[in-house]
Amino acid sequence: MNKGANKALFYMFITFLGFVFLIPLIYLTTTSFTSRIELTDFPKPIIPKFYHDVEFQWDNDNNRYNFSRLNNDGEYELLIWGDSEGLSKYLEEKLNVVMTPDELEDEIRISKETGDVVHLKLYKTVFLNYTKFFDVFSGAGNAFKNSVKVAIYTIILSLSVGGSLGYALARSEIKGKEAIGIGALVVRMFPTIAISVSAAVMLINFGLFDSMIGLAVVYSIPNIGLTAWITKGIFMGVNKELEEASLVFGATKLQTFKKITLPLVLPAFAASSMYAFITAWNDTGVALLLTNRNQTLALLLYNSIGGTSSIHYAAAGSVLLITPAVIFTFFLRKYINKLWG
Amino acid sequence: MNSTKTKKPFFKSPYLLVLPALLFYSIFWAYPVFTAIREVFTAIDGGGFTLDNVFALFHDKKFEAAVTNTLVFALVSISLQFVLALALALIINRNFKGSSIFLFVMMIPMAIPISAVGVIWNTGLTQYGWLNSFLDITGLQAILEWLGILDGLHLWTDVSGMNAVMFLILIDTWTVLPSVMIIILAGLQNLNKEYSEAALVFGANRFQTVKDIVIPIIKPTIITALLLRIISGVQVWLISVMIFDFDKVPFLVERIVYYTKFYYGEEAYKLSVSYSLFVVLIVMGIAYLFLRANRKAERGVV
Repeated sequence: MNKGANKALFYMFITFLGFVFLIPLIYLTTTSFTSRIELTDFPKPIIPKFYHDVEFQWDNDNNRYNFSRLNNDGEYELLIWGDSEGLSKYLEEKLNVVMTPDELEDEIRISKETGDVVHLKLYKTVFLNYTKFFDVFSGAGNAFKNSVKVAIYTIILSLSVGGSLGYALARSEIKGKEAIGIGALVVRMFPTIAISVSAAVMLINFGLFDSMIGLAVVYSIPNIGLTAWITKGIFMGVNKELEEASLVFGATKLQTFKKITLPLVLPAFAASSMYAFITAWNDTGVALLLTNRNQTLALLLYNSIGGTSSIHYAAAGSVLLITPAVIFTFFLRKYINKLWG
Repeated sequence: MNSTKTKKPFFKSPYLLVLPALLFYSIFWAYPVFTAIREVFTAIDGGGFTLDNVFALFHDKKFEAAVTNTLVFALVSISLQFVLALALALIINRNFKGSSIFLFVMMIPMAIPISAVGVIWNTGLTQYGWLNSFLDITGLQAILEWLGILDGLHLWTDVSGMNAVMFLILIDTWTVLPSVMIIILAGLQNLNKEYSEAALVFGANRFQTVKDIVIPIIKPTIITALLLRIISGVQVWLISVMIFDFDKVPFLVERIVYYTKFYYGEEAYKLSVSYSLFVVLIVMGIAYLFLRANRKAERGVV
C-alpha cells in the first residue's frame, strides 16, 4: 500500500544521515577554498563560493582607488584603498584573486575616467590555497616527501617480513604456530606510544632517530603481524595442487611462485600495502615522539594547529592529507569488513 | 639414519621464513619493552632495584585526573558508540539498494588522519566556526536559543573538567563509530537470517527480535568490538591535546607524551616509563580477556 512512500522516507533518512555524518568533512573542504577575508564571515556557507562581488571607486582627492567587497549582510564594505599595484597584491593575499596590476587597471580604469563606481565579479583562483600551503608552511614540501617515503618503507618492511611469515604459517609444519598467532595479536594491540620512549633510545643507538627509516620500523611493528595474518589466509586459499602440477611439468620453484602463486595472492598483497600505507601516512603521535626536524605531513599539520590566520592553508593541506587515505579505504572496504578495521 | 634423511637442509627450512619476523620483533619490539620495564624498576642514579618510580606515579599531581578521565572516556565512549554502531549496522544489514555506497560514506571518518581531525574541529569550534555556522544556517541555533540551551554564539572549546571529557567523547565518536560498526556488521552478516525472520513471523516486534535473538547470537562479535574499543579508548590522548592542548584535560597516554616531550632529565623520563607500564598493564589485561573470549567463541561456534 504505502510501500513507495515508506521507501522514499527511508532513503531520505539515509541521505540525511550520510550528510550529517560528512558535515565536518564538507566544511573542511569548503574552508580549503576559502580566502583570508572570508574566514571572518559568519555564517559560513556549506558550499564554497568561488567569486567575490566587489566595487572600485576612484578617489580624485587622494588619487587612489577605494575598494569594497559585498559582505554577508549584503552591504559593500570598504576594505582598503590604493593604486592598482597595491590592490593586486591585496586581492591575492586576502581574496585569493590573482590579477596582475595591469589587468586590474584595465578593468577599473573607467572609474578614473568617469568617476563612476565599477562593479566587478572577481573569480578566485580555485586551488590557490593548495599551492600556497607549500609556501606558507616552510618545509611542507619536504614533509610531503617524507610522508611518501615513510609509507613506502613501511610497505616494503611489512610485506617482506610479514609476507614470508604468512607463507610459512600457511604452508609448512612449524612448531609453535599458536604461540606465533597469539604473539602477533599481542603486538598488534600493544600501545605503540608506551614503548616509543624506549624505542627512541633504541633508534638513537642505531642512528635512526629523526629518520624516516626509524619511523617505518616502528610503524611496521603492528603491520607485520597484520600482513602475516592477511597473507596467511590467502596462501592457504591458493590451490596447492596447481602449484604441484606446475612443479611436475618442470617449472622451478621460483617460476611456480612467479607464474602461479603470485598472481593469485596479489590482491592480498595490495590490501596489506594499503593498510601499511594508511598506518604510516595517518600517524601523528609516534612521529611527534620519534622525529625532531624531519616532519611528516600529518605532523606538520598537527603543529599548524593554533595559527588562526593560516587555517585556510592548513585546511587545504588537510584535504591533501586525507585524500589518499580515503581513496585506499574505498578499495579496502571489503577487506576492512572481513578484518574489522 | 632415516630421520636425518628426511631433515631438510637449514636454508630450505620453513623456519628461515619465520626468522626475519622473529629478529625484527626481538630487536625493535621486545628489546624496547624490556628496557622500559627495566627502567621502571631501577633507581635514577643507575642504582639497583627500586619501586620509587612506581610510587612517584601516585605523587604526580595529575595522576588521579588522568586515571578518572581515561576510565570515564573509555567506558562512556564505548557505551555510546556501541548503541549507535549497532543501529547503523542494523540499517546497513538490510542490504537496500545503495547500501554499499552508504557503508563507504560511513567509513570515511575512520580514514581521516587524526591531525586532520584536529584541523577540522579547530576550525569548527570557535565562535564564528563552522559548527555555529551550520546551526545558524539550518535554523537550529534559533531553536536551541528558544529552548534556552544556547545563549548566543557558543564558544565550544570553553569547557573544562568532566564536561571536556564528555565533549571529547562526542568528537571521538564521529571518528571511530565506523570501526565499531564494521565489526558488528561482520557479525550480523554471518547471522542466519531465518532466526530473526522466524521471530517476526511468530509475532515479535523488531525491537524484541534484536534484543532477544540478534544480540545473543552475535554476542561474541559484540564482545570483540567492545574489548577492541576499550583498548583504543584507554589510549586516547591526541584528540584531547589538539583541542585543549597538553596538561588541560589529562589522560594516561597524554601523560607519557607530556613528560617525554616537555621535560628533559631523568625524573621525567622515569615518570613517563612508569605511566607506560601502567597503560601496558591495563591494555594487556583487556587483551587477555579478549583472547579468552575469542577462544570461548571459537569453541562455542563449531
